[in-house]
Amino acid sequence: MNEEVAMAIETPALIAPPSEAHVRQAEDVPAASVTLRLRNVNAYYGPRRVIRDVNLDIVQNAITAIIGPSGSGKSTLLRCMDRMHEVVPHARATGLIEYRGIDLYDRRIDPAAVRRSIGMVFQQPNPFPTMSIFDNVAAPARFNGLVHGRGAAADLVERCLRQAALWEEVKDKLRQSGTSLSGGQQQRLCIARALALAPDVLLMDEPCSALDPVATLQIEQLMVDLRADYTIVIVTHNMQQASRVSDRTAFLTMGEDGAGYLVEEGPTGRIFTQPREQLTEDYISGRFG
Amino acid sequence: MAAEYPALLKPTSRGRRLKADLVVLLAVVATVVALIPLASVFLYIVGQGAGLLRPEFFLEDPPGDLSAAGGGIRNAIAGTLEMTALATLMAVPLGILIAIFDTEVGGRAATGTRFLIDVLAALPSIVVGIFVYSLVVVAQGHFSGFAGSVALAVIMLPLIVVSTEEMLRLIPKPITEGARALGLRRWRTYLSVFIPTALSGIFTGLLLAVSRAVGETAPLLFTALGNNFFTAELSEPMQGMPLLIYRNALNSAYPAARDRAMGAALVLILIVLAFNLLGRWLVARRKPGRGSGR
Amino acid sequence: MAIRIDSAGASGSESNPLGRRRPLNGDVIFKLVAGAAAALTVTLIGLMLLDSVKAAWPAFERFGPDFVTGSRWSPSFTIYGALPFIYGTLLTSAIALLLAVPIALLVALLVTEFLPPRIAQPVAVAVDLLAAVPSVVWGLWGLLVLVPFMRPIERGIAAGPGQFISFLGPPTPGPSYLVAAVIVALMIVPIVAAVSREVFAATPRLQREAVLALGGTRWDVIRRVVLPIGRTGVMAAVLLGLGRAIGETIAVTMVIGNAPRIGPSIFSPGFTLASVIANEFNEATEPLHAEALVGLGVVLLAMAVIVNGAGVAVRRRFERSAERGR
Repeated sequence: MNEEVAMAIETPALIAPPSEAHVRQAEDVPAASVTLRLRNVNAYYGPRRVIRDVNLDIVQNAITAIIGPSGSGKSTLLRCMDRMHEVVPHARATGLIEYRGIDLYDRRIDPAAVRRSIGMVFQQPNPFPTMSIFDNVAAPARFNGLVHGRGAAADLVERCLRQAALWEEVKDKLRQSGTSLSGGQQQRLCIARALALAPDVLLMDEPCSALDPVATLQIEQLMVDLRADYTIVIVTHNMQQASRVSDRTAFLTMGEDGAGYLVEEGPTGRIFTQPREQLTEDYISGRFG
Repeated sequence: MAAEYPALLKPTSRGRRLKADLVVLLAVVATVVALIPLASVFLYIVGQGAGLLRPEFFLEDPPGDLSAAGGGIRNAIAGTLEMTALATLMAVPLGILIAIFDTEVGGRAATGTRFLIDVLAALPSIVVGIFVYSLVVVAQGHFSGFAGSVALAVIMLPLIVVSTEEMLRLIPKPITEGARALGLRRWRTYLSVFIPTALSGIFTGLLLAVSRAVGETAPLLFTALGNNFFTAELSEPMQGMPLLIYRNALNSAYPAARDRAMGAALVLILIVLAFNLLGRWLVARRKPGRGSGR
Repeated sequence: MAIRIDSAGASGSESNPLGRRRPLNGDVIFKLVAGAAAALTVTLIGLMLLDSVKAAWPAFERFGPDFVTGSRWSPSFTIYGALPFIYGTLLTSAIALLLAVPIALLVALLVTEFLPPRIAQPVAVAVDLLAAVPSVVWGLWGLLVLVPFMRPIERGIAAGPGQFISFLGPPTPGPSYLVAAVIVALMIVPIVAAVSREVFAATPRLQREAVLALGGTRWDVIRRVVLPIGRTGVMAAVLLGLGRAIGETIAVTMVIGNAPRIGPSIFSPGFTLASVIANEFNEATEPLHAEALVGLGVVLLAMAVIVNGAGVAVRRRFERSAERGR
């Protein structure tokens, strides 16, 4: 276990008696700054429930990390937020996911519209293999009607690549294929591509797990820089990353019924130093997961 | 709570939405267009042929003169059964052995054999008829049910080889490793372990091969030739269901011939469908989730 | 029809560590028997091919390349030229592909992209059943239902645009290249659709989700990911369908009108290589006639082998690239 985190736990935590699977409302979050509000969210693959009754607030312009052991439903929960969960056959989600007051699962809402405001970066970098670096960034914006004309497209591409800290490395080879880059560069390209749609929220599903440590640090720095303009939710199995990067942390684990549930969430500092649940402390100190 | 389409989300432009909907519509229309003839064939054959299916239809032979009414298709049913059975006896052992050869020996020889089997599978059935004609009918000096069986066996062989090979390939590693660890001789392993495991797959392959062979006309045209009378002698020209339908259809100006063709077509299509659907159902049961688009 | 994804090489033989001559045990006999079966099959096929070419040889010898390019086929004058049948085969196959491929691709897309799995399965099976109907039954239906159905359509087109474009003009007796092409199209839709289905289903999920996560519609996914990635596979599907179309015999011979010449329009009666053999073989009393027909069979065989060989080769290439992309 990471020594820094171990040292940070000075006192045996003020651990409340083992509580039910429901999480308390985060008292320290003013309602106005909540971008995504999750209430009683359940997710299923066919008849099998994989996420049980999650209540969670995602705070604006902050980085929220979702941590937990494998199989706890972290990625599934993330995918519910931009309606990507239902893309898999037989998958569905129930409950309320409210984005700035809009019920994202309302029948009248087009999932594609949701995904233009809530962007996603995947674990495995997936630039379009048949497109150049330039087109990878510009094309999705163009198809969505967000940019017209060569000049505007070039401006957008430069802006997004700068935001993704990739501009300097690729500005001279924008015409090359998207897959000619290294893993870390490809992931930053995917981030730039997502940013090109000017989303409000950026969901990142274990974005660094396929990358080397140097690239990982670059992406982490990028996240911190982006925080000022975007709301970021990141799923990670790397606790140190969560403690380094995030402002708030949510801890999910698998219950006895096989479904993941939210054990605890709150400001990152508190979660890692004074977790309220025994399970949280066990996970953080490496006793399981 | 959202009531109107919120401006916060970026809705899909009408043009794009229309295009997406249009494609779905086109796909549905195309599928309907493809399925209408299927329904039409069924309804027509059933409608026209159902009335003829009296017991005599199955128990009597057709009249010597096609244009005469009455009689049945007994010789054709018997002929098809006999020729298909003999074809199965020829194709199945040979097909399984070839599949074993491909799996066991491997290498260039197997690649060549597989290629040849693929070529055989793609042969137009009329070419198969010519091939067997040149080899068997010419050598024997006359048409025969035996030659017809050989032709059907050639048609069935690739299907048996492919399905057997697939089944052998799918035998789980623990079983192959376990047999090897027990020091069993290869042939013993095949006889006692592999073939029984693959048996259900081989059987379904056989069902599909039979459903194909039963409906083939062209290979029989110059081999079995056809016969207006009943015979169980494989050394004589023999009638088959598809042949009977073909010859009567060509004379469909005569109502009797037309009716006979309809009744026989109904029987044939029911047999083919029964084998085909049974084979599919067994495949689906074996491997859940296979066989669909997803 | 399954895509064969070659697993790592087969087990191979039990090698003798001592390197001495292998004893004649059950294993060796077993392999010999299996090998003999394969050899027997190869030999038989080879013999059949040889005998057929031998049988057709007099015709090839007599007419030379004119056999293929000659446009006159007249048994009573012992003149045999294969061109009308090659033309018929190519024309009906081309029209059949034109009709069948768009429909088959749309069906495949419907099943893999649009329908929920529970409905997709039966629809896919239903389309596959088109291939289960025996050729002779299609021919029977074609003769008695399709030809009368199409006659007014043919007449209408011949009277309209057909006045200016002789290719679409009269005569319109009923049985014709076009009707044959329609029936062949019905018979190859299931093949093209089945292979295309497997091709589309093999699209990597990661690429699909990339488009969706960027606000793409289902059509975007199809247009930007499924079709481009599946291009090679679809080509294989089309080639396999073409191979089948070339060889279709019985249904064609029942609706094509059986005229051994190159008809001026698509509504003319005609012949294909396969259908003329079926039609004339049993009545060919003159030995050269029979030999010429076998020669046609050899020509047909060559065409089928080339097209199907190309189809299989392209399909293997697609399977290999699909494996790599996973």
